[in-house]
Parts: sequence; C-alpha cells; structure tokens
Amino acid sequence: MTATAHRTRRSNLALLWHQVRYEQLSFWRNPQNAIFTFLFPVVFIVILGALFGHGTGSSYFYGLSTLQYYVPTIAALSVLGSCYGQLAVMLAARRQNGILKRVRATPLPAWTYFLGLLAHCVMVSAVDVALIVGIGRLYGVPLPANWPAVAMALLLGAACFCALGVAVASLIRNSEAAPAVVQLILFPLVFISGTYLPIHSATLNRVAGFLPVRPFNEVLIGSFAQHTGLDWRNLGVLLAWGAVGGFVAIRRFRWDPRPE
Amino acid sequence: MRAEVRSDVRNQAPAVRSRASSAVEVAGLRKSYGAVQAVREASFTVEDGEIFALLGPNGAGKTTTLEILEGFRTRDAGQVAVLGLDPGDRAAGRALREQIGLVLQDIAVEPYLTVRETLARNAGYYPAPRDVDEVIGLVGLTGLQRRKVRALSGGQQRRLDLALGLIGDPRLVFLDEPTTGFDPNARRDAWQIVRNLRDAGTTIVLTTHYMDEAQALADRVAVMSGGRIVAEGPPSTIGGRDAARARIRFALPDGYTAADLPLCDLPRAGLSRAAVAAHGLVTVETAEPTEALHELTGWALRRGAVLDRLTVDRASLEDVYLRLTSDPGPGEPGPPTEGSTR
Repeated sequence: MTATAHRTRRSNLALLWHQVRYEQLSFWRNPQNAIFTFLFPVVFIVILGALFGHGTGSSYFYGLSTLQYYVPTIAALSVLGSCYGQLAVMLAARRQNGILKRVRATPLPAWTYFLGLLAHCVMVSAVDVALIVGIGRLYGVPLPANWPAVAMALLLGAACFCALGVAVASLIRNSEAAPAVVQLILFPLVFISGTYLPIHSATLNRVAGFLPVRPFNEVLIGSFAQHTGLDWRNLGVLLAWGAVGGFVAIRRFRWDPRPE
Repeated sequence: MRAEVRSDVRNQAPAVRSRASSAVEVAGLRKSYGAVQAVREASFTVEDGEIFALLGPNGAGKTTTLEILEGFRTRDAGQVAVLGLDPGDRAAGRALREQIGLVLQDIAVEPYLTVRETLARNAGYYPAPRDVDEVIGLVGLTGLQRRKVRALSGGQQRRLDLALGLIGDPRLVFLDEPTTGFDPNARRDAWQIVRNLRDAGTTIVLTTHYMDEAQALADRVAVMSGGRIVAEGPPSTIGGRDAARARIRFALPDGYTAADLPLCDLPRAGLSRAAVAAHGLVTVETAEPTEALHELTGWALRRGAVLDRLTVDRASLEDVYLRLTSDPGPGEPGPPTEGSTR
C-alpha cells in the first residue's frame, strides 16, 4: 500500500458535517451573540402579545386574531433577520477580517462552506420560530396544524434569504457599510409587505407580491394559521428571488478583502 | 497530553514526494491592476525541497506574485506551475490546496474557538493532516491548547497562523513575511521551524523585508524590483557578492590621520579604496584582505597603537539588495564617506 492511499478525501457528507459542527461551535462559543440573536424575536412577540393578546378575529387581520397574524409575520421577520441580515453582515465582516481568505486558502470546497452557513441559519431560524410559536401559544394562538408544510416553507424561505444575504454581501464593499445597506433594503420591504401591519391596498400588494418578503409572509400565514398547506404560487416567487440571489452570489462573491 | 499517535504518513511521504519536476515554475508572469503594472516580467524556478526567498521593497510585486502562485489572483500573461498544477485553473484548486500550506501576511483567525479546536477544524479539511497536538508543539503553543484564540497575544496568534499553514502536511509552504512583528527569540524559533520543515522534505517559498532572515534561511533568493526579478541566486553569491572586495573597518587611532596609514605601501594588495567616515571609522576595500590586514596590524603594533573596533567582512546581502533595488541606476555600496579615495 502506498502513502497515496492515506491521502483519500473524506466523503462530502462527512466534510459537511465537520464544517456544520465547527460553525455551530463557533456560534455558541460567543454566548452574548447567541442570546441576543434569539432574544430579539422573543421580545418582539412578548410585546405584541401584551398589547393584543387573546383577541378575537377581525376582518382587518383577514379573519385572524391580531396575534394569530403576528406570529407568522414575526416568524418570517426572524428568518429574514438571521438568514438575510445577519448572514450578509457576518460575511462582510469575515471578509474584511481576512477570515474568508483564510478559508479559501484551505481545500474546503466553497459549497461546503456555504452549506455550513445555511445549516447555521436554518438552525437559528428554527429556534426563533419555535420560541415565537411557543410564546404565541401562551397568548392563546393555536399551534400550526400542518407541521410538514411549515417546515418546508421555513427551509425554502431560509435557503432563498440566505442566497440573497450572500448576494448582498457580494455587492457590499466594506463591512462598516454592511448593516446600513442591509437595513436600507430590508426596512421598506418589510413595511410594504405587511409584516407590521396588514396592507389593504391592492396596488401595493401587487407590487409587494413580486418582491421576496410578502410572498414569504403569505406562505407562513397560510401554513401557520389558515391551514392551507403550501402556497406554491408565492413559493415560486420566493424561489425565483432565491435563484437570482444565488446567481449574483456565484458571479460576484469575493473572498479577498482587496479588490482583484 | 497527547491523545493521538504520530501519523506514519510522514515517514512514508518522502518516497511519494520525490518528483523530477521543480516545485514552482514561473515564466514570463505579468499582472496589472488598471494602469499599474504590478508584475512586469517575472521568471523563476523553485526546486523541490529548498527554501526560496523573494526579496524586494514594498510595491515590488512580491505579494502579487505569491498570490498568483497561491491561486488568489489571476494573471494577465505567463506560465505558472505549482507542484505541476496551474493555480489559475479553478478545477485544480482543491487538489492544489490539499498539497500547499499558506501563511498570509495578516492574522485572521476566528476569535471564539480554542487553539486546539481551530486546528482540529482545519485538519478536517485535508485528506492526510498532521497530528494536531504535534503541530501545536511544533509552533510552541503547548499548554495553550484550550485557550481561546482571542486571548492569545499577537505573537501567539501568528504562531497559530503558522500552525494552520502546516496542519495539512503540505509539500509546499508559502510564507508571506512570516516573522514581521516577532521578537528576536520568536524569530529564531520560527527560523528553526522553517529549517526543520525543509529538512523533512518540504519546499518553502517566503517573502521577507529582513535581509538577515533571507541570509539565515534561504537556499536561494530572488530580488524583485519594479515588478521584475533583477537577480536570483544563493544568498552568498547573489549580485556578485562573492566577487566583491572585502571590507576592513577600524577606528583611526588617536593622533593619526588617514594619510599616516600604510595604504600606499600596498601596491600588490589590490587596494581599491580607503575612506574615513565622519565618526572616525576607516573603511578599506581590498581584493587581498590577508595581506592588507597584515600590513595594517603590523603598522599599528610597531607604533603601539590600537585598531579599535576592527572588523573584516564582505558586502552584506543588504548592501547588494540596496544596490539592486535602488531605482535610478546601480549605486555604489559602502558607507557614506568623506576622505580619500585611491
């Protein structure tokens, strides 16, 4: 047997698992960051619960109680925050610090690195959503009936918003500007998509329906509260945005802090 | 505590490693950033198993050249082969990175993992990594395995960075200014690590600003200036160093002037030049140092005078480097002087 035989690569799956484990370790080793990541949606839903808890359905909220409406939209917001917002900011910071370049210096394939990040974002999203649904339950919001639809919607949504997060990180030049750019894109989008208040303008809804946030809200409201299963029309819009994000990310992502 | 047994891969490796071709071959390399020509025309070869140092002032194109070899940057023209692979070929990227180790100029390690975890994570990226604890010992971080990276000093972080470059058991290691910011002891340690690697069969390519580092470490050096390789060779002979005249230096004894020295009595000594610096130090350049030294010391003994601070040396690597990299034509090495020239 030659020494070459020792130099066999581990399987792709084993490598991915290795990367996911260390990405998680890295995250949990910074407890402050971890706590605040999960605290934000919790505080949000607790406040909304204190304000509107135990209400009855109204036409303003499409026949849902106020909190029945907010549990899915705040869940969507937490997915946006962790997958799109935090990922873009984190990648911009890691690039600026030279950490991405160091990753590129190793034989770790790029797709493994990004799947490790996706797994992290899905984990954070899942914990966030579980916390939001759990606290909603305390205020009398019934649990989602169709869990497979919820899980599928969350996974696809997380993947699409991660792709958009990487795309935005590819277009941002420096890490100081990253939070501002991320917020500038996110804030108006969230507002016109009915996250904070239901939008009853048909024109606005038609416009927002072609942007990524409203379709995701609709999918989650449907699968959480209206028991409609998966809304494939809205998911289609979301997946199209995910594909655009993926395309931009693949074409424009840079590992090196300095431009080529 | 060492949990794992030393891998036997290293013992078998040399048979696999011996290859006929050179570790790095560069021919006609060119790279521009916009209107700036960073690398104009670079050609050099790094042989298997040697320490090769790339010298040059800031902006000479060293790091650009290195980053092209490492696969971080594309090139505009020229041929490059690293371990027989083209670093510009994305498809070969993974295979190449499995065999090379990189230590970049800036420290970049994630702050919240421990030393051991950081190394264990990267070890998992390679098909046949070195033992984690062995590498920790190698770079002198024993006892700090469980310390978080952010609690390490700057020097310790650089050691960790070096460890990350070695963890994959590379055949070829690139070190970009590896000892910048080290204290003298840490530099000696780092040099010894690099020598040990070379002795174990690893090829090393490094850039440095320190001439003593190149002198102490490199088997061969190439001097880069203005995007070109202006000289290449062993540090002892580069730029005609070996052919240069020897320099005898001493302080002028009290009560004597340069005119009193027996230098004109040395017609056969091949004396070229004697100069007295402002601080009273005499420099004599000669092709026959034995004879010249004999005359000078004999002269001093006969008069009961002392040649204080007496040294004999040849043009240092730094002198050669300064001559090669000074832009407006080759300048004359040697001390700034006032005084006589013969």
